[in-house]
Order: sequence, then structure tokens, then C-alpha cells
Amino acid sequence: MALLNPDLVDVVRQNNEFNASACMNCGVCSAVCPMGIELLPRKLFRYVLLGMEDQVKVNTETIYSCLLCKVCEVNCPAGVHIAENVRSLRHFINRQVFRL
Amino acid sequence: MSERRIGVYICHCGGNISDYVDVEKVRAAVGDEPGVVVAKTAMFTCSDATQQEMVQDIQEQNLDGLVVASCSPKLHTFTFRGAAKRADLNPYQYTQVNIREQCSWTHTDDKAGATGKAIRLVRAGIAHTRLSTPLEPIVVETVPKALVIGGGIAGLRAALGLSDIGLAAVLVEKEPEIGGWVAGFEGMYPHAKGGRQLIASLWGEIQKRPDVTVFTNAEVIGKSGSFGNYQATIRVNSRPAETIPVEVGSIIVATGFDSYQPEADEYGYGMDGVVTLPEFKKMIDSSTGPLVYKGKPVKDIAYIYCVGSRQKPDLPNANRYCSRYCCNAAVHASLTVAAKGAKVHQYHLYRDMRTYGKYELLYKESREEGSLFLKFADDAPPAVTRDENSGKLSVTVADQLTVGTELTIPADLVVLVTGMVPRSNEELVKTLKLPVGKDRFFNEIHPKLRPVETVVDGVYICGACQGPKNSAESVASALAAVTQSAGILKKGFAELEPLVATVKPDQCAWCGKCQETCPYGAVEKVRLNDQDVAAINEAVCKGCGGCVPVCPRDAIDLQGYTDAQVKAMIDGLLKEIG
Repeated sequence: MALLNPDLVDVVRQNNEFNASACMNCGVCSAVCPMGIELLPRKLFRYVLLGMEDQVKVNTETIYSCLLCKVCEVNCPAGVHIAENVRSLRHFINRQVFRL
Repeated sequence: MSERRIGVYICHCGGNISDYVDVEKVRAAVGDEPGVVVAKTAMFTCSDATQQEMVQDIQEQNLDGLVVASCSPKLHTFTFRGAAKRADLNPYQYTQVNIREQCSWTHTDDKAGATGKAIRLVRAGIAHTRLSTPLEPIVVETVPKALVIGGGIAGLRAALGLSDIGLAAVLVEKEPEIGGWVAGFEGMYPHAKGGRQLIASLWGEIQKRPDVTVFTNAEVIGKSGSFGNYQATIRVNSRPAETIPVEVGSIIVATGFDSYQPEADEYGYGMDGVVTLPEFKKMIDSSTGPLVYKGKPVKDIAYIYCVGSRQKPDLPNANRYCSRYCCNAAVHASLTVAAKGAKVHQYHLYRDMRTYGKYELLYKESREEGSLFLKFADDAPPAVTRDENSGKLSVTVADQLTVGTELTIPADLVVLVTGMVPRSNEELVKTLKLPVGKDRFFNEIHPKLRPVETVVDGVYICGACQGPKNSAESVASALAAVTQSAGILKKGFAELEPLVATVKPDQCAWCGKCQETCPYGAVEKVRLNDQDVAAINEAVCKGCGGCVPVCPRDAIDLQGYTDAQVKAMIDGLLKEIG
């Protein structure tokens, strides 16, 4: 059982763009990902929106596996800026996990 | 032998009939019935070609009777009456015989039996036609005035529409104030204009119309007469109560809806901070700044959708339908909350979002503004409890969009997004004989083509008494009811079926039995040659025939279904099939 923390998204957003509100969880992004990253972006973005911080942090490896190739983004029917969101997440990880 | 000249047309219905009934055998069997001059079969009697052939036969052979043996009279009575009229034959000298629904389709396992039955049915139809007489429709003058029941947004707009089109209107509202639900709302979707202002502008306009009469605190308690000429009784619940009779041509029912009232404990209803959508809407409308509940600022709101709608069938009186306005209303409420300034986290727990049409943009706006949408499964509804440590409400849900992860949402307010339910209007249903559907809303005749008419002629339904509707849809249907009213009342007269009871005054000794049995109050006692006799009000009589068998002196007959015709039909049905 996870407790929601709706303020996490504001922390991720700090100085960055993060917008996944249009995501309807269709899974096209996961289907077209050349790296076969099943988690990114739909599940991970959901964790951010819901404030499941631990779930985000344990997936640091996944977040850095992304090639930022944007295949998902051009195929996203909801027009979510996926690559930009991943960049924002990396910034968040840099600060929160690697203390950079 | 008969003097009559009757044409008989037997339909294959493209196999629907002829696959089971030997139509040629039927034709041969009835061809020499007394009075039959023409007997034919046709692939489709309702086709233009066959109708044309009928018209030609009637004119060339000088026919004075027509029998069509095909489908149910519900389908094509008016089709063949039209064909008769085109050939200058009185339409009431045509008889429809049903050999499809009541014969071929019911006896698919017995072709010989079906054929025999069809022969008997057609013979009865011929016998009926042999004794037919030309009849003319009963023409009654109509009253250019309509009664509108319900003074919400639909009823008010209907009254105004009637006035616009040149018909007087009498509006009856049960409550002391007009305006219904909408009068209690501030900003409404999609343009945020206040409901109170909308009602005020309608009311302002109505007050300028001398042809609109409004009764508040009033109910309709009686109705008699027939369409075009209804006599309605209004009771004004003043002290002392007053009853007012009105004459109207049509009746528009716009009695609206009730909001679903959750059961105790349904999603925590009854706990402090768990409110229904209308209660929440009041809270929003009455706060000028950021939302405050019991002195504390509201920071977290959880909405639970589909409360009281789309219920499982095993519940008693389950509301199986989608209330369709509530998704939009809840999304709009969340946008109103967000616009109040303070940061509020809003969680929408839904089954399916149905912000149909243009309202999809509200949904998009709500997501962009930061509302979070979580989808729960039909069989795993959220649960509402109180967190003893924080004192906050706590909603748990398995979010299907996050791979079914169980989540706990802390909330200051839990809004149960409640739907619309039908009002309990038993008295009105009885008074107007309104048709009520399985969902307990009022029923139209045809959902697409006759969406505001009821089976009671001249009685129309509109707005949310018919099913869940938002105010825009309610007003649209109200104006449809206005148009339908004008359709009958602007002509100035109505044509009624002449298939009514008639009294032979010389045989009547006035015992009153017919008056007692008539469900429509169509029998009157009149004085004729110093004798009391029964007389039928043709405009009120529905031709049910209830009075005919109770008369001890056989003084009443039903036009189009006379005793002689019925007896001849029985003889036709029983005749041996050689």
C-alpha cells in the first residue's frame, strides 16, 4: 500500500518541464521502445504524478537506460513530451540520489 | 351472394410468410368467398408497385372493399389506408389481416396448420369487410393552449417557446419557487454562466408574456378529455387549497429528476467530510475565496465517480444506466475549485470518464490544471475510512493505470459523484396515465424518431423526467415538445379515429351500466323525446368496446367492429376448410 504524495511532481518540476497529465496509459511507448524498457515512460510517469517517490528512485537504472531517441514521443497519441520528461526525471535523480 | 366487390391481396413478405404459409393455397381457398372479385398474391404488398396495382384494381374493377393479408396492423394500417384513399375508396372499408406475426412466425413448425389458420384469418377479414361502411374521421376543434408541468429550466423554456409560437401556456410548479435545480446553481459548465441568472432571465421574459399563466405551490390532480381538448384540474396548495380547472390542447411534462441519495455508509456516506455532488456544488457556490470546510482550508479532495449509477443488477431497484451529466459536472467542479486560488490536490477515482462531445475539453483542462485521474475496476470499488492519527479521511483504491497498485489517498473532503434518479411522481403518473420505463423514468414512443411523444396522445415529456440530461439537453427536448404541441394545436383541429361506440336511442332505456363501465368518462345521460338515453362523447371515446357487452338491450355498437361484423368474422373463422 503506497501513500500518495502529490507534491513530488512539483519537486521534479523544479526548473524543469514535466507534464504527463495527457497520458492515458495506452502503452504505445512501451511497445515501440527499441531498448525494450517496459517501465518507461507510462508506469514511471504515473509514479511521479502519484508521488510514489521510492518507486521512482529504485528505477534510477531504467531512467538512465533511455536513449532519448523519441520513437515513443512521435508515436504518442496524447502528445506527451516524453523525452523532455525523462530529462527532468534525470535532473531529479541527480539531485536526490547522486546529490550532484 | 353478396353485392360487395372486394379485392384481397395476400403477401409473401419475401418468404417471411410464404416459407411457412402456402399463399397460393390461401388465395385459391378465399377466391370464391362471397363478394370477392379480385384475389391476388404479391411478393411485397407494401411495395409501391403492388400498392399501385391495388389502386388500379379498385378503380378498374369498381371495388368497394379491400383486404390486405400481410403483417401486423401496427406496421401498415396507414400505408394501405393511404392506398385506399388514393383510389377514392373509403379507408375504413379496408381491413388488415395479420398472417405474419400471428401466423407464419408463430407456426414455423407446422406449415399445413399455418396455411389453414391463414385461410381462416383471411376469411374472417373478408367477412368483416363485407359488412363495412364508409366512415369519416371525427374532427374536433383544438384549444390553442398547453399545460406545462414543472417549472425548472425545461418547463420555463417550454412555456416561453409556446408563447413565442403563438400558443398560450399554463405552467404548474409544485414548489413555492420556480426554477428547479438550476435556480440553485452558480457557475455551470461549459461557459460558467450561473444557473440562477439563467432562470432569472427566463423568468423576466415570462413575466412580460400575458399568455403565460404560472401557478406555484400547485399540482395537477385531474385530467379528462382527449388530445386537443383536455380538461385539467390544478390544485393550488394555498390555505385554503383552491382547485382551478383549465382547458388545454396538450400537456408537456417537465418534472425533472432527483439526485441519488447514497445509502448510509455507501462509500463512507454519513462520515464527516463525505458529501454528494449537489452538496459539494453548494459548498463551492457559497464560498468566495479558497474552499474551507468546518473552519479548515481544504487541501485534498477525492472524487468517487458513478455513485448510484451503472449499478450491478443484483441490487434491488438497481440504477443500471449511466447518468451522463455527472462526469462533466464533477470535472467542472474541480476546475472551479482550482480557480479559487489556493493549491488543492484533487483526485478523481473513476470507472470510465464520459465527458462526451465538447465537454472533453473540460476533462483535458482539468488534467492540465493538475487533477489526477485514477481508474478503479468495477469489482474493486474504493473504500473510505478515517485515519485515526491524522483525523483526515483516507480513500484506498487499486489504480488500474498504475498496474493495479493499491494506493491510499488522504482527503479533507470525499465527493460522491452522484447521478440522477427518477422522481417519485406516482400521483401524476396515475392522473396522466404516463408510461414509466424499466428505469422508472418516463418513456417516449420511439427513442430516435418520436423522442418526446408518449403513448398518450397530446401528452409530451421533456427534460430529465425522461432520463438523465444536462440543462442544454433538457432545453432542447423542451423545445421539441413545444414543436410537437404546435404541430397539433396550430392547425386548429384534430382528426380522431371514427372507431367509436354509437347508441341506438330507440333501444336504450338508460340503466347507466355503460356509464359505470367506461374508463374514459365518455358516456353521458341526455334527454331525448322525453326519455333518458345514453350518448357517447365521440371525442372522448377510445373505441375500447367495454360498454358494448354490458348493455342489457344491445343498444350500443362499435363503429368498424359492429356486433354483426364480429359474428360474421367468427363464422368466417369457423368455416370448414375443404
